[in-house]
Amino acid sequence: MYNSFPKISLQRFGKINPQSIEDYSANGGFVGLKKALSLSPESIIDSIEKSGLKGRGGAGFPVGLKQKYTSGSSAENNIRFVVCNADEGEPGTFKDRMIMETDPFLLIEGMIISAYTIQATKGFVYIRGEYYASIENIKNAIKICYEKGFLGQNICGSGYSFELDIALGAGSYLCGEELTLLESLEGKRGYPRIKPPFPAEKGLWGLPTLVNNVETFSHIPFIVEKGHEEYSKIGTEGSKGTKLFCVSGNVTNTGVYELPMGITLKELIFDIAGGMKEGFEFKGALLGGAAGTFIDSSFLDVPLAYETLKEKGATLGSGAVIIIDDKTNLKEMMISILSFFKHESCGKCVPCRIGTTLLYERIKKPQLNENDFLWMQTQASYMVKNSLCPLGQSPDLPIKTVVKFFKNDL
Amino acid sequence: MQKELNKEQIISILQKYSPTKDNILKCLHELQDAHPQNYISKVILEETAKHFKLTKGQIFGIVSYYSMFSLKPRGRYLVRLCKSPVCNMLGAKSVTEYFDSKFNLKPGETTTDGMFTLELAECLGRCGKGPSMMINREVVTELDSKKIDEIINTKK
Amino acid sequence: MSKIIEIQIDSKVVKAAEGSNLLQVARDNGFDIPGLCYHKKLTPTGACRLCVVKIDNTPGLIMSCTVPVKEGMKITAFDEELEQNRRHTLSYLLAEHNEEFDDSYEDEIRPLIKRYNLEKPENRPLKPIWQGIPRVVDNTSPVLTYDSSKCIRCFRCIKACDEIQGKGVLSFADRGISKYIVAGFGEWFNSECDGCGECIQLCPTGAIVEKPFRESLKISEIDSKVITTCPYCGVGCQTEIFVKNDTIVRVDGVDDVSPNDGRLCVKGRFGYQYANSKKRLTHPMIKRNGVFEKVSWDEALDFVSSKFSEIKQKYGSKSLAGYSSAKCSNEENYIFQKFIRIAFGNNNVDYCTRLCHASTVTAMLKSFGDGAGSNSIEDFETTDCLLVTGNNIIDTHPITATYVKRGKAAGQKIIVIDPKWTPLVKYADVWLQPKLATDVALLNGLINIIIENGWIDKNFIENRVEGGMQAFESLKELASKYTPEKTEEITGVSKEKLYEAAKIYATAKTAMIATGMGMSQQTVGTNNVFSLINMCLITGQIGKELCGLNPPRGQNNVQGATDVGASPVNYPGYIPVTNEDNRKKVAEIWKVPFESLDPKPGLTTIEIMNAAYDGEIKAMYIMGENPVVTDPDRHHTVEAIKKLDFLVVQDIFETETTEFADVILPAASLYEKDGTVVNSDRRVLRLRKAISAPGEARQDWQICVDIAERMGFKIGSYNSPEDIFAELAKAAPIFGGITFARIEKHGIQWPCYDENHPGTSTLFLEKFNTESGKAKIFPVDYKEQSETPNTNYPLVMNSGRLLYQYHSATMSRKSKVLNAYANEAYIIINPEDAVKLGLKDGDKVKVTSPRGSLETTAKVSDEVLKGETFMPWHFNEAPVNALTRNEIDPMSKIGPFKYSVVRVERV
Ligand SMILES: Cc1cc2nc3c(=O)[nH]c(=O)nc-3n(C[C@H](O)[C@H](O)[C@H](O)COP(=O)(O)O)c2cc1C
Ligand code: SF4
Ligand code: SF4
Ligand code: SF4
Ligand code: FES
Ligand code: FES
Repeated sequence: MYNSFPKISLQRFGKINPQSIEDYSANGGFVGLKKALSLSPESIIDSIEKSGLKGRGGAGFPVGLKQKYTSGSSAENNIRFVVCNADEGEPGTFKDRMIMETDPFLLIEGMIISAYTIQATKGFVYIRGEYYASIENIKNAIKICYEKGFLGQNICGSGYSFELDIALGAGSYLCGEELTLLESLEGKRGYPRIKPPFPAEKGLWGLPTLVNNVETFSHIPFIVEKGHEEYSKIGTEGSKGTKLFCVSGNVTNTGVYELPMGITLKELIFDIAGGMKEGFEFKGALLGGAAGTFIDSSFLDVPLAYETLKEKGATLGSGAVIIIDDKTNLKEMMISILSFFKHESCGKCVPCRIGTTLLYERIKKPQLNENDFLWMQTQASYMVKNSLCPLGQSPDLPIKTVVKFFKNDL
Repeated sequence: MQKELNKEQIISILQKYSPTKDNILKCLHELQDAHPQNYISKVILEETAKHFKLTKGQIFGIVSYYSMFSLKPRGRYLVRLCKSPVCNMLGAKSVTEYFDSKFNLKPGETTTDGMFTLELAECLGRCGKGPSMMINREVVTELDSKKIDEIINTKK
Repeated sequence: MSKIIEIQIDSKVVKAAEGSNLLQVARDNGFDIPGLCYHKKLTPTGACRLCVVKIDNTPGLIMSCTVPVKEGMKITAFDEELEQNRRHTLSYLLAEHNEEFDDSYEDEIRPLIKRYNLEKPENRPLKPIWQGIPRVVDNTSPVLTYDSSKCIRCFRCIKACDEIQGKGVLSFADRGISKYIVAGFGEWFNSECDGCGECIQLCPTGAIVEKPFRESLKISEIDSKVITTCPYCGVGCQTEIFVKNDTIVRVDGVDDVSPNDGRLCVKGRFGYQYANSKKRLTHPMIKRNGVFEKVSWDEALDFVSSKFSEIKQKYGSKSLAGYSSAKCSNEENYIFQKFIRIAFGNNNVDYCTRLCHASTVTAMLKSFGDGAGSNSIEDFETTDCLLVTGNNIIDTHPITATYVKRGKAAGQKIIVIDPKWTPLVKYADVWLQPKLATDVALLNGLINIIIENGWIDKNFIENRVEGGMQAFESLKELASKYTPEKTEEITGVSKEKLYEAAKIYATAKTAMIATGMGMSQQTVGTNNVFSLINMCLITGQIGKELCGLNPPRGQNNVQGATDVGASPVNYPGYIPVTNEDNRKKVAEIWKVPFESLDPKPGLTTIEIMNAAYDGEIKAMYIMGENPVVTDPDRHHTVEAIKKLDFLVVQDIFETETTEFADVILPAASLYEKDGTVVNSDRRVLRLRKAISAPGEARQDWQICVDIAERMGFKIGSYNSPEDIFAELAKAAPIFGGITFARIEKHGIQWPCYDENHPGTSTLFLEKFNTESGKAKIFPVDYKEQSETPNTNYPLVMNSGRLLYQYHSATMSRKSKVLNAYANEAYIIINPEDAVKLGLKDGDKVKVTSPRGSLETTAKVSDEVLKGETFMPWHFNEAPVNALTRNEIDPMSKIGPFKYSVVRVERV
C-alpha cells in the first residue's frame, strides 16, 4: 500500500548506490537541473510559487515567495548565497538524514536549481556534526559533481557558475534556526540574530541568502521537471506535495515514510506502519517534536496537513510523529522535553534563559497541581510574547497541549 | 600511545583550511577528532585563534558553546547516549543506569583506563530505533545490556 | 544627513532622524522606557527584553531598541500590559541575580527594582535561583573583577571591548543559564586585555567592577566629579575625575565629547595614582653643601631671582636658558616663554618637542606652512586608507587607534611601515618592514612606483603645488634612481609589497598618513618627512577631507606648548621671532619696550645642552622636564648640567635631573590646575582643578610671575589662567576666537580666528599656509648613517615606548596598576642573532654602544629584523639614552633615538 503513494524525496530510496552519480543519472537524476538551466530564473520561481510548496523545516513558509524575496534583495557585487539547513535537531526527526544517506545528489540538484533561481554564487550545506554518514555522502557527492561539471564554473555549459561546500554544526539545536545557523556558519557562537532583517535581505555575511530545509530542496527538481500542476495534484488544498513523516515510539515499523499531505494519523500508524507493537496501546502522539503539540486519540482521523492541524490547535512541524502509548511515562517525557529546552537555550535573552530553567525546575516537582499547571502556562505564554527567538516560544505548545490532554498523567 | 596533539600536527591541520571564518567549526572538528584524548586542548585553542585571527576569549567562547566540543580530555571512545524524549520513553534511563552499574561510568565521566567517556546527548536522529547512542562515529540503536556489553567488549 | 521624520509615541508627535534607534528617540523625548542591554554607543542586542513597546500594525510586543524608526510609526510606550511584562522580565532577572551591593559602582538595576516595586521579597513573583547557578569569579586582572552572579548577560562589555575599543577580548563562555563572561581562557590577566576599562564603564551592574579603591570607595559619598583632560598622551581624552577627601579615586571617560567620546586607555583611567603620591615635591628646596634643605617660598624665590639676575649681569643675557614643558598647560607655557623673552631677554626657550616631532614640524612648516596634524581624530575611522609609518599607534595613542580599528572593521585599508612589529600589524593589509633608517629610500621607491604607474594627481600638482609639474619633474628625476629593485636592495622590502602599498595608498579615494617617532627621531628625520610629504603631494592625498598628514603627539600638551610660543624660533601662534611687526604687536600686548625683545632666534634643546657643556650657558630654568633621561647621550647631558653655575628645576617629583639642581621648586600637577591644552588634532581643551596641590606646591605660571617680579620684570598680573588665555588669544591669531566659555563642553580646533569661527577640522582645504598658498616639494636623497654596524658594535638599536608607561615614567611608574602590566626593561633580539650570541629569552645582558652601556634582560622575538634590536626607553635602571648619540639632524636639531650601534653580551 505504501508504495502506491507518489514519491519525491525518497523516489530512489534503496534503489541506487547513493555514492554513484551514474546510478543517480540513470534514475532520472539531473533532468530537472538541465531543464532549469534552459529556463529563466523568474519562470522557475513562478512555477515553484504556483506549486504551493512550503518549507519542510517546520515553519512552512512558501518556498517560491522566499526565492522571490531573496532574488529581489539588493546585493553588494551581486553576491547571494544558498544555504541548506541540514541541522536536523528536532527530537523525533530523522528525515533529512534519510535523504542525505540515500540520495545525496537529489539534495545537491535541488540546491543548484534554487541557487540558479536567485543567481547565487555560493552555497553551503550546514550539516549537524553528529551525522557522520550524511557528511561523508554529501562531501563525496559534491566532489563528484565538481568533477562532472554540475558544480563550479559554467555548469553543464549553461554559463551559470555556482560553488558548493559543506559546513558543520557542533551540537546545538538552536543552530537549526535559520538566522542562528548563519551565525554559526560564520564561525560564531550560536546566537539568534534580531529579525528583521530576514536572511532573504541580510543573511550570510550580511548578503541575501536563501535558506531551505533538505526535504524542501529535494522537491525542487520534481517541480521543475514535471511542472507545478503535476506537483500540486498531490496533497491537500492548503498543503501541497508529499511529506516525510518520522514515526517513532512503540510502533511495529518505525521509520521515515513519504506520503501525500493529508494522510490521517490512523492510516499512517495502523495501515502503513503496522500498528502498535504488541503489548502497547495507542494513546496519542507528540507531533512535530519537542517543540510540537501533544494530541490524543481524537486526532486519529484528522488529515496530517498544515491547515487541518492548525485548525485543531496542533502542528505538523518538521514531521516528527512520536507515538505515545499506555505505558509511556508522560511526566518523564515532559521532564525530558523541558530539560532539552533548558540545555539548548543559548541564554541570550532573559525570558528564555531563565524561563526554561524555571519550567524545568517546576516540572520536576513530585505532585503537580492545578496551580502548577496554571503557573507553567503563564510563564510559557509570557515567554512566547517576550522571547527573542522561537526557541523561547517553544515550551508553550507542549506544555499547553500536555495539560489539555494528559494532565492526569503528570 | 601519544597523549597530545603537538603544535606541528595542529598547524599542519590548520594549514589545510583558509582562514575564513566559515571554516572554524570544521577545523575544530578535525582537530578534536585528531586529538588522542578527543578534546580541544589549550594548544589547539591558541593555534586556532591565531589562524583565524581571533582572540583567546573568542575561540574559548566558540568552543564552549557547542556541546560536541570538549575542553576537558576525554576517553579514546566517546559514548554519546541520547536522552531526548523518544529515547527517554524507550528506556534511555535504564541504559544510563546500566553503564553505571556495569562499568562504573556515570555521565560526564571517563573510565580510569582512559578508554571510555560517557556523555548524555540530545536527539541523535535515530529515534525510530531508540534508545540510541553513538560510540565515536558508530551508531548503535535499540540498546539493551547485551548490545552494550558487545560493543564495549569489542573496543576494549 | 538623514531625513527628519515624524512618529508618535503615546500620541505625542516626535521628530527624529529616519532610521535612528526607537528606544533612543523615545528616551530623548522623555519616555523613560527601561532597558539594560541597550547602550547608545553599541549595536542593539535585544537581550534584556525590558524595552518592549507596541507598534501599530505590527503584531506582538517589540523590543524598541531593535527598531529603526520610520515615518508615521505609532508607538505605545506605556500601558498596563507593557508595564506588566517589564515587571515580569525584571523579576526573572532578579531571580538570576545576586543583589549584594557595595556602592563601589553605579548600578542600573537598583533604580528599576524600586520603580517596579520589587524591593521586598514578598512582592516578587519568583524565588531566587542564582545560588544554584555555577558562579565564576575572575580576579586575575589588575584593574577589574568579574563576578558572574551579578552578571545580567547583557553583552555590553563584549561589545564595548569589540565595537568601541576594537579589541574583541571578551566573549561569553558556555551557554544558557550558566553562561558567563570570559577573557582569555578564563584568566583576564592572561588575555589580550590591556586594561582600558571600557567594559567596566559600560557594565550596568556590579559584574565587572574596578579594582582600585574597591574596598573603600562609596560612589554615593563621592565629594566631587570634575571633568578635565587626561594628563598623559596627546590624544587629549576628556576624563571625569571622582574625588574623595582630596584624593582621586576613579576616572571615567566623558561621553559625547571629542576626542574620545567616553573611551579611555589604561593610562588615562588608571594612571592617576601619581597625583596623590607621597613622593610628590611639597616644599621649595635649596641645595646647601650638597644636601637639599626645605625653605620657604620667599627664600626660594629671592634666591632664584637674585641668582638669575646676577648671572645675567655677569655673563650677559645669552648665558641663560629655559626648558618649557609639554606636561604644562598652554597658559603656563605661554607665561614661561614670556618670562624667558622678557626676564632672560633672549629666545632660549625650547622643550622636548625637539626630541620628538621637531623634524616633522620643520618639514611640514616648510612644505605646508603649518606643523600640526591636518585632520580630526574621527577621520582616522572614516578615511579609506591609512598609512601608519614609524608610529606604534596602538600603544602610544591608544584612543586614536580605536578609531583606526573601527575603521578597519568597516573596511578601511591599512598600510604599516615599521622596522619593528607593532600591534597594528594585526590589522594591516600590508606591512612593510624596512631596515632601520632607510625610510627615504623606501618612500622614494614608493614615489617611483606611483609615478611609473601613473597614479599621480596631475590636477592637484598643477593647482596646489608650487612650481606645478616642473617641481614634480625634479622629484621624478630623483625618484627614478629608486627603482623597485634598488629600493628592495636598500630597504630589504620586496618589490611586490612595495607595489601593493603604493597602489593602495595612491589609488585610495581618500588616504591619510600618521607619522611617528620612528620617522622623526633620526639624523635624517626632516628628510624622512619631506619624502613622505612628497608622496602625499603627488598623489593629492592632502588638501581635501579625510586626507592629510598627521603626527600624533606624545605628551598631553606638546602641541599646545609650541602653539603658544615655547619655541626658540617662533612667537605664540607660529609667528617667527624675526617678524618685526609681530614683535611690535606683542610688545604692546606685553607692555614692554619693543627693543627689549630679542630679534634673533634662540637655541634649541640640544643646542642649549651643548652650549652649557661649552660653558656658554651658565644658568638654566627647567620647568617640568627631565633632560637627563630624555635627551640623547646621557653622559654628555649630565656633564653639561654639572657645568652650569645655577640650575632651577620646577617639577612635581624628584627626577634624575632634580638631583643636579641648585633649587627645586614644587609645582602643581595637571589634576591640580585650571587652564587649557591643545591635543594632537589641534583641539583646545580645558583642564580643571580636581584636587589641591600637595603641601606648598604652586601653579607653575605663578612661580614664573613671582620670579620675574623679583628680578624686576612685571610679566603680567593675572587672576586666573582664563586671564592668561585671553591675552594669549590676542597674541596668537590662531586662538583669536577661543574663550573659556566657548570650550566649556566641547574643544575647538585651531585656527579659530574670531568668535564666530567654528574652528578648523581639516587643514589646507583651500590653501596651504605658505606665502604662495601652495605646498612645496622638496626632493631628498637617501643618505647612509654616519655610524654603521661594525665588528665592535655589530647590532643596531631602535627604541620606543610601551602602552603602560609614559615618557621617563616619573608619573606612570607611580601607578601600581600600570606597573602590574609592564615594569621591566628589556632588549628585543632577533632569534637568529640570539643563536649567534648564545642568548635565550630572559638572559641578563649588557648592552654597549660607543657612548656607554647598561644592563637589561634579553627578549628573543622576531618582532625585529636580524641585526636589529629594540628597547623601551621608560626605565631609568636601563637608560637607553646612555647609548644614543648626540649627533643631530641639521635641520630640526632632533636627536637620533632610533638608531645607535650596539653590542650585546651575556653577563
Ligand atoms: C529552534 C529551531 C530549530 C530549528 N531547527 C531546524 C532544523 O534542524 N532544520 C530545519 O530545516 N529547520 C529548522 N528550523 C526552521 C528554520 O528556522 C527555518 O524555518 C528553515 O530552515 C527554513 O527552511 P524551509 O523553509 O525549507 O523549511 C528550526 C527553527 C527553530 C526555531
Ligand atoms: S579592560 Fe578594555 S581591553 Fe580589557 S576586556 Fe575590558 S574593554 Fe577589553
Ligand atoms: S559583565 Fe556586565 S556588561 Fe558584561 S554581560 Fe555581564 S552585566 Fe553585562
Ligand atoms: S589615549 Fe592618551 S589621552 Fe587618552 S586616556 Fe590614554 S593616555 Fe590619556
Ligand atoms: S530522541 Fe534519541 S535519537 Fe532522537
Ligand atoms: S534594551 Fe532592548 S532588549 Fe535590552
